[in-house]
Amino acid sequence: MDVDGRPQSVPVLSRRQKVIYQFTQQNLPACKPVLTPAWVIATFLSLGFIFIPLGLLALVASQSVVEIVDRYDTDCIPEVFRSNKVAFIKDDSIPKNCTRYFKVHKPMKAPIYVYYQLDNYYQNHRRYVKSRNDRQLLYGLRYNDTSSCKPEETNSGLPIVPCGLIAWSLFNDTYRFVRGAGELRINRKNIAWRSDREHKFGKHVYPFNFQNGTLIGGGKLDPTIPLSDQEDLIVWMRTAALPSFRKLYGKIEEDLEENDVIEANLFNYYNSYSFGGKKKLVLSTSSWLGGKNDFLGFAYVAVGSSCILVALFFILFHVKNPRPYGM
Amino acid sequence: MFTLITLYSTIIPISLYVSIEMIKFIQSTQFINKDLCMYHVETDTPALARTSNLNEELGQVEYIFSDKTGTLTRNLMEFFKCSIGGEVYGNGTTEVERGSAQRNGMTLGEVQKSTTTIREKGFNFDDARLMQGAWRNEPNPEACKEFFRCLAICHTVLPEGDESPEKIKYQAASPDEAALVTAAKNFGFFFYRRTPTTIMVRESHIEKMGKVQDVSYEILNVLEFNSTRKRQSVICRYPDGRLVLYCKGADSVIFERLADGQSGIKNLTRENLEQFGSAGLRTLCLAYRDLSINHYESWNEKFIQAKSSLRDREKKLDEVADIIERDLILIGCTAIEDKLQDGVPSCIETLSKAGIKIWVLTGDKMETAINIAYACSLINNNMKQFVISSETDAIREVENRGDSVETARFIEDTVKQELKKCLEEAQHCLSTASGQKLALVIDGKCLMYALDPSLRGHLLNLSLNCTSVVCCRVSPLQKAQVTSLVKNGARKITLSIGDGANDVSMIQAAHVGVGISGLEGMQAVMASDFAIAQFRFLTDLLLVHGRWSYHRLSKVITYFFYKNLTFTLTQFWFTFQTGFSGQRFYDDWFQSLYNVIFTALPVIILGLFDKDVSASLSKRYPELYKEGIRNAFFRWRVIGVWAFFSVYQSLVFYHFVSASSRSAQKWSGKMFGLWDVSTMTFTCMVVTVNLRLLMACNSITRWHHISIAGSILAWFVFIFLYSGVMTPYDRQENVYFVIYVLMSTFYFYAALLLVPIVALLGDFIYQGLQRWFFPYDYQIVQEIHKDSPDDSSRATFMEIRNQLTADEERSYAISLLPRETSKHTGFAFDSPGYESFFASQFGVYAPQKAWDVARRASMRSHTRTTPHRTLNQNY
Repeated sequence: MDVDGRPQSVPVLSRRQKVIYQFTQQNLPACKPVLTPAWVIATFLSLGFIFIPLGLLALVASQSVVEIVDRYDTDCIPEVFRSNKVAFIKDDSIPKNCTRYFKVHKPMKAPIYVYYQLDNYYQNHRRYVKSRNDRQLLYGLRYNDTSSCKPEETNSGLPIVPCGLIAWSLFNDTYRFVRGAGELRINRKNIAWRSDREHKFGKHVYPFNFQNGTLIGGGKLDPTIPLSDQEDLIVWMRTAALPSFRKLYGKIEEDLEENDVIEANLFNYYNSYSFGGKKKLVLSTSSWLGGKNDFLGFAYVAVGSSCILVALFFILFHVKNPRPYGM
Repeated sequence: MFTLITLYSTIIPISLYVSIEMIKFIQSTQFINKDLCMYHVETDTPALARTSNLNEELGQVEYIFSDKTGTLTRNLMEFFKCSIGGEVYGNGTTEVERGSAQRNGMTLGEVQKSTTTIREKGFNFDDARLMQGAWRNEPNPEACKEFFRCLAICHTVLPEGDESPEKIKYQAASPDEAALVTAAKNFGFFFYRRTPTTIMVRESHIEKMGKVQDVSYEILNVLEFNSTRKRQSVICRYPDGRLVLYCKGADSVIFERLADGQSGIKNLTRENLEQFGSAGLRTLCLAYRDLSINHYESWNEKFIQAKSSLRDREKKLDEVADIIERDLILIGCTAIEDKLQDGVPSCIETLSKAGIKIWVLTGDKMETAINIAYACSLINNNMKQFVISSETDAIREVENRGDSVETARFIEDTVKQELKKCLEEAQHCLSTASGQKLALVIDGKCLMYALDPSLRGHLLNLSLNCTSVVCCRVSPLQKAQVTSLVKNGARKITLSIGDGANDVSMIQAAHVGVGISGLEGMQAVMASDFAIAQFRFLTDLLLVHGRWSYHRLSKVITYFFYKNLTFTLTQFWFTFQTGFSGQRFYDDWFQSLYNVIFTALPVIILGLFDKDVSASLSKRYPELYKEGIRNAFFRWRVIGVWAFFSVYQSLVFYHFVSASSRSAQKWSGKMFGLWDVSTMTFTCMVVTVNLRLLMACNSITRWHHISIAGSILAWFVFIFLYSGVMTPYDRQENVYFVIYVLMSTFYFYAALLLVPIVALLGDFIYQGLQRWFFPYDYQIVQEIHKDSPDDSSRATFMEIRNQLTADEERSYAISLLPRETSKHTGFAFDSPGYESFFASQFGVYAPQKAWDVARRASMRSHTRTTPHRTLNQNY
């Protein structure tokens, strides 16, 4: 701005005064974005051109993942018990072993992750979520204010470690895989997030008085192994966000070739039948973006292409029927 | 179930109240109180907001009730012109004349004041022909002498202080009288002492130039002024025994009492009177009569009798006075300027363009009120005027019969008939769509009956159809009644402005009360919500501060609503997946700090700094104010749009994040838990909600960037600390390390890019379409002036304007034009029309208006009807 014409009598303001002056006179320097058609079109076009490649990238990553899903909750119940699954699962005298076969359609590179997937399982229910005690998990019996763990707080007067409904309902189906003649070893180490292992579960905390009650919820724990090494418990205790969730069971550290037939020997212990939950076994490889999930890729591509469509629509409209600027 | 419901308590933002109070407080203490445009230099008075609750109502005012004296006018009477023996004396043009000349496109140069001019309170007369004895050389020095003597003798003023022309002070019942006596003093007839029976006048230049003599006039009778007589007389005896009656009064009264055979001077004076009147001056006629001793003695007996009578003394005195005040000889007339405050006519014109209806409520006479209404362009000759007056012959006749009950009934009937007649005419006028504007003038007595519950509806109907209404001779109570009639009847925001104790009731009755911190004490200011020094500052107060405040606050409130609704809805969608158990989606601290830290500051910045159009454009396009009157930014439709997009956004947040986190997110195949998903969602939401605010801003300052970046940063700093440190106080749902787990995945960045953009895309499309197809008026103005500079020179310019001459001002204004800086070509600003904007702002004749050019430019590209063509046509 040309201020040469200013008379000398106008006092020179210091920077601070000037800011205050601009503030009180509401004259702070500002840019004024006006959402003109050109801007709208340019924004949409550039969004489109950024998003579509990103989406394709994500899709490629997702497509490169090979995934085998097998639902076994019904099939692993003998025909005679189909009508009363709960009775079957509750009866300890009946053997629960079950064998499933599946074929590998595409070669799967190691590591191959083994997940169990539970559907209709409300791990995010309010009472369930809060029924745990992080202090106890870390400090063990030294910490005894475990009222949040109700109703699995104590048993016959003795505290339970780990207490609470979450631990009590630990998933306890077990899987073994056989390919041809040889068994596929499942590595069950390093399946939990490191931060959980190292900071949330105590290295010197051992299970105590666990699953000794009349009502047995789920799996039992080896009382000689500290909690920080009980990784299946750690995985289980990171409660899922949605009622349908997967949790990591272990890793197979061998490549699977195409047309390999995998035999899964599993013990179907976990009672998901009383609440109608489904159980699935999942074998999956992984990419830089994680497991098989097309959502992100599709979303990127869809948003990108709709941006371009909208831009085209705006351009067409602008050419055919321009709004005089400032009218 | 109860737990479930408490989850949604966040929809009611408690911090809204705090934020709004803060915004309003700063708006009033920092912006309104410190605005240099509303600072009056002469009296060293800044504007004063005495309450911070009404800022946004200032942007929605539809009716202004204004007092006249001291509010529209300065309440400074100045002797301005006179006519002696048919000859007009006094140069100079009144504000009114200047205003009308400007409207007609004439340029009035600044008149060079002669060096002899005496400027003094009450005297603004400039004509060398009468000063310092020069009147002796005029065609009729005798008339001049009588004129001056009449001014010096015929009054009830008391002198006070030292008996020298410089130091004396006159105490008068009305400022007019003081002005007249001051005028006499300046003409060389210095009234300096009053005793019970005499008036002492120091007369100069009587017998010969330069000679000064003290003359003592014996005052025999004073026939005082009252509103029925409309005149005042003094009978005095000269030292040489000459008996004279001096009389001054309204022209209508004086003219019917003149002796025969003065038709020449009578006609000349009448012409002069009309001339003065149209210039907005207050006139008085002066006359005298020589009395013979016998005649006087016989009359004086009657006078003493009347004076000592016990019954009907006033009436008898009037009758007796009437006997002697006859056969007068006309001397001339005086013209006193009741000066309008600076800029009042243009202010009123701007306000009425802004769709504000201005009512003048005054205790003055009807003629004066109408005069002032003309002067400040409230009424003009193109308007259809309805006058409901109690000063008609018919009413006076009934009044003279003396039966008060009958009088009341008669007036009531008349008012009723008049109202009905006017209403019919008004409706006829409006239905014929001739576009003629209506004005109503009503006096206090009629108003008393018109405010009766049975007639109130008619009055309201009629007056709401009128663009301007003048109520004269109203009492303070009636002022308040009229105000509340409109306030309650029309359900529109009303504003009262006044300066005196008699305006207090009216100021309190209206939604917004404005006091003029002027001459008449502090009562009005103490009762008001805002105090300004000059009426013209109302433009700034309403069109700039009020409009901005309204815009800002409606944005702040809708934004608050939006951000809390979005937050709560994500929680709502989550409850469907938890079997309605009432599990919280977010950590308690996220929820508590969402309103307090992560989204608090930007909205306050918006409430303080957002400007849709600059201050000068707000005043230049007063039509923009109508959006406030229509409440265009805070109606259900606007809130509905915000609500719609907050539903959309919450769906995007919840479902995008939850759907994309069903599978493993890393090479290592590990899965996310509940708190990972919720932290991810919350991160996306904080980013989106803050960016959405940026999209709502019309002007973006550094502070916007700082506060928005700061808020997002605050979230990250918080979550880094919160999830990075484990303390003995942790609760069960531990978010320990969550953010680090999240940030170790590519997924986090991919989602953080995708989700906010998808969420904002809806708003972006809507804003684009809305601006394209249904633009608000302010958006059109924004587009017209997209390339013009911000008016950062606004206040700076004002400071130095006082030191510049008109020509310098103009060149300075033009030097500020963005011709070098603007890169925009092919549009209005290159054309000569642009300069005329500044030219017209400073009262220089502007041959071509910028908007004419704008319209031409737009018509060139395409002629299409848009809903806003009317706006352009108004310009």
